[in-house]
Amino acid sequence: MLTRESPTPDRRLAAEIVSFTRRSARRYKRSRISWGERFVDAYSWGLGIAVSLTIAASFVLALRNEIAGRASTGNSIIGTQWLILPEPVLWSAVTYAFLLVVANLARKLGPITVGGPESTWWLSLPIDRRPMVLPPFLRKVALTGAGLAVVYLPFSMVTAVNRTAAEHLVASATFGAAGVIAVTLAAFQQLDMLGPRAGRAATMTALLACAVLPAVPASPWLAAVAGLAAVVLLAVAGPRTGEVRGEELIRGGAVAGHTGASLFMMDTNEVLRALGGGRKTVDGGRAAGFFAKPVGGPLRALIRADVVAFLRLNPPLIPSLLWMLACIAMLLVEGGLPEFAQLAIVVIAGCATASGMGGVARKTALVPELDALLPLHPALVRGSRTLMPCLAMAAWMAVLSGLLVFLGASDPALIAVGALAGVGMGAGTLRSATKAAPDWSAPPVDTPFGPVPRAQLGTLMRGLDVTILAMVPLLVGLYLGYTPGIVGIVQALFSAGIVLVSVLSRPKRA
Amino acid sequence: MGTVLEAEGLLVGYAGAPVCGEVSATVGAGQILGIVGVNGAGKSTVARTIAGRQSSLAGEVKVHGLLIDPDAVPFRRQVSAVFDDDLFFPSLTVREHLLLVARGHSLADPEGRVEEELEFFGLQGRSHAIPDALSSGQRRRLLLAAGLIRPSSLLILDEPEQRLDPMMRVALGERIAEHARNGSAVLLVTHDPDLLLATASSCLVIDDEVRELEPEQGASIIAGS
Repeated sequence: MLTRESPTPDRRLAAEIVSFTRRSARRYKRSRISWGERFVDAYSWGLGIAVSLTIAASFVLALRNEIAGRASTGNSIIGTQWLILPEPVLWSAVTYAFLLVVANLARKLGPITVGGPESTWWLSLPIDRRPMVLPPFLRKVALTGAGLAVVYLPFSMVTAVNRTAAEHLVASATFGAAGVIAVTLAAFQQLDMLGPRAGRAATMTALLACAVLPAVPASPWLAAVAGLAAVVLLAVAGPRTGEVRGEELIRGGAVAGHTGASLFMMDTNEVLRALGGGRKTVDGGRAAGFFAKPVGGPLRALIRADVVAFLRLNPPLIPSLLWMLACIAMLLVEGGLPEFAQLAIVVIAGCATASGMGGVARKTALVPELDALLPLHPALVRGSRTLMPCLAMAAWMAVLSGLLVFLGASDPALIAVGALAGVGMGAGTLRSATKAAPDWSAPPVDTPFGPVPRAQLGTLMRGLDVTILAMVPLLVGLYLGYTPGIVGIVQALFSAGIVLVSVLSRPKRA
Repeated sequence: MGTVLEAEGLLVGYAGAPVCGEVSATVGAGQILGIVGVNGAGKSTVARTIAGRQSSLAGEVKVHGLLIDPDAVPFRRQVSAVFDDDLFFPSLTVREHLLLVARGHSLADPEGRVEEELEFFGLQGRSHAIPDALSSGQRRRLLLAAGLIRPSSLLILDEPEQRLDPMMRVALGERIAEHARNGSAVLLVTHDPDLLLATASSCLVIDDEVRELEPEQGASIIAGS
C-alpha cells in the first residue's frame, strides 16, 4: 500500500475546496430563487408541519386518555390473558428494535457519504477527505438526534402516562442521544475498525444499554450520561471520518440519493429497491437442481422460475418472525392496549410482512418484456408471480392465527381464516409491486381541507388497500372472540376476489 | 526511463466472474499503452481496476512499485483517470469545476492554467455555463480538461475520443503525446485506430486471451472489428 502523508496542510486546502464549492452553489441558487419564492416555500413548509403536528398531537392525546382509562374497561382481543408480559420488558424490546432499525438504516444510507458529483470531483483530489465528509455527517447526526427526540415524545406520553411534562422532555432528549449513538455506531462500522461481523455485534450490544430507557424513571442524570456517551463516540469517530474508503463513501451516497429521491416522489417500490440494492447475497446456485429438472409446458416452467427467483432473492425470514413476535408481544402487554390498537398492530405487522414478499414482482416489473417471453396470457404470468407470496403469507398468517388461538383469542377455525387471509394479502403484494410511479403531473383535487393530491395518494395506497381489505374478516373474527362460519365464507370470498382482481387487472404504466 | 505501472496476472470482472484473460503489462514514464478490443471485451474494466475504481479478482497492480490504493493521497496525486462519468456539480460553472481541480492539486497559477485548458478545449465561450447547459461533447471536453489540467505520472483515459468532433480528436492525440513526452505514462483505451496510431507506443488486445501487439496491428484489429 502507498504510505499516507500527514493530513494537516491538506486539511486546510480541503476545507477551502469544500467552502469554494458551497459558496459557488449558494451564489448560483441565490441567482435563481427570489426572496418571494423562499417566503412562500417557508410558509408552506411551516403550515404543513404545524397542521401535521396538530393532528398527530390530538391523536396521541386521545390515545393517551384511552390508555389511561383502560383499567376501567379491561377490553382485549385476548379474552382471558393467561400469559402477561411486563410493560417495561415490552417497551424496552420495542425501543431496542427501533434503535436497531435506526442503526441498520443509517448503515445502509452511509452515514458518512459523498454525492455523485462529489465522488468524481472531490475524491480524486490528493487532499484529506475529512473536511468533505465530516460536516454533512454531523448534520445528519444532529438531525437524527433531534428527529428521534420529537418522535419519542408521543411514545413516552402513551407508554408512561404518569410522567410529568418535564420528565417526558427529559426522556425524549435521552432517546435523541440514543439515536445519535446508533448513527455513530453505524459510522464505526463504515470505518471497519472491528470487521463487519464484530462491528455489527458491537453495535447490537451497545444499543442494548440504550434499550433500558423506558424501564427506568426519566432523569436528567440519565440524559446526561446518554448525551456524554454520544459526544464521546462522536469525538472518537469524527476525526476518523476522512479514513472511510472512497468506495464505501460512494456506495452510501448512491443509496442515500436513490432513497431520498424515491421518498420525495412517494414511490414506495423504488424506496424498497433502493434500500435492497446493496444486498450482495443473491445465491445463484440455490435451487439450481430444482430449476434444472424438465417441465411440461410454459406455465409450469414459469412457475418453477418464479419459485426459484423467490428463493434466491432471500425472502425476509427474520423480519417476518420479528414482526410476528412483536405483534404477539404487544397483545400480551400488562394491562392490555385498547382493542382497536391491538387490531391495528395486527394490521401493521401483516402489511409490513407482506410488503417484503413482493421482491420478484418488484424486480420483474422493471422489465415488462420478461412477461412476454413465454406464450402465456398475462393473467397466467401474474398468477404465477403471485403464487409464492400467497403461499408464504398464508403460512405466516396461519402461524400468527395459531399463536392467537393458543393464547385464547379465538377458536381453532381462526387458523383457517388466517391462512385464507394470507392468500389475499399475498395477492396484494403483486398489486403493490407492479404499481406505476406516482404521476405528479395530475393536479390536486380541492377538498374542504385544501388541495389534496388524490391521484398520487391513490397510487401510494395501491396494493396496501387490498392487503388491508384481505384482513377485514379475520379482524372481525378476532374482535368477536370466536369464528362463526360466515366469517370463514366471507374471508374465502374476499381473498378469492382479491386474487382475481390482482391477477386479472393489468398494471398501470407511468 | 522508470517503470510507472506494473500489472502482473491481473484478473478483472464482476461478482467473482472474470470478463477477460489475465493482464500483465508494464508501462514506463513517457510510454503510451493502447488497449483495444471489441465491445464487452473488458477494456474499461481493466482501466477501472487499474485506476482503483473496482477491486481485482486476482493478480496485482503497482504504481511506482507500490500496490494501488485509491484512498491514499500519493496515489490520487500521481494517477489521473478520465472515464465516461457524466457527473457534475449542478450549480458550478465550467470554469469553477476546473478551478476546483487546479486548486485541489495546489497548482501555482490555477486561474492561468484554467484559462489555458478552456482555450485548448474550446470552452472559453461556455466558461460561465453550468454543465447542464452544455452539449454532450462539451461535457466530455470538460472531463478531459479536468484530467489534463492536473499533473500526473499515470494518465488513464477510457475512450477519450467518444463524443468529440474529428478536429478535437486530432488535437487530443497531440495533447496526449505531449503529456507522455513530459514524462507521464499513459493508459489509453480506445476504439479509434487513428488516435491509437498517433499516440501509442505499444498495444494490448483484450479478449479471452490478452496479447501485446504493435500499435499498427492493434489499429487494424479495431478497423476489422
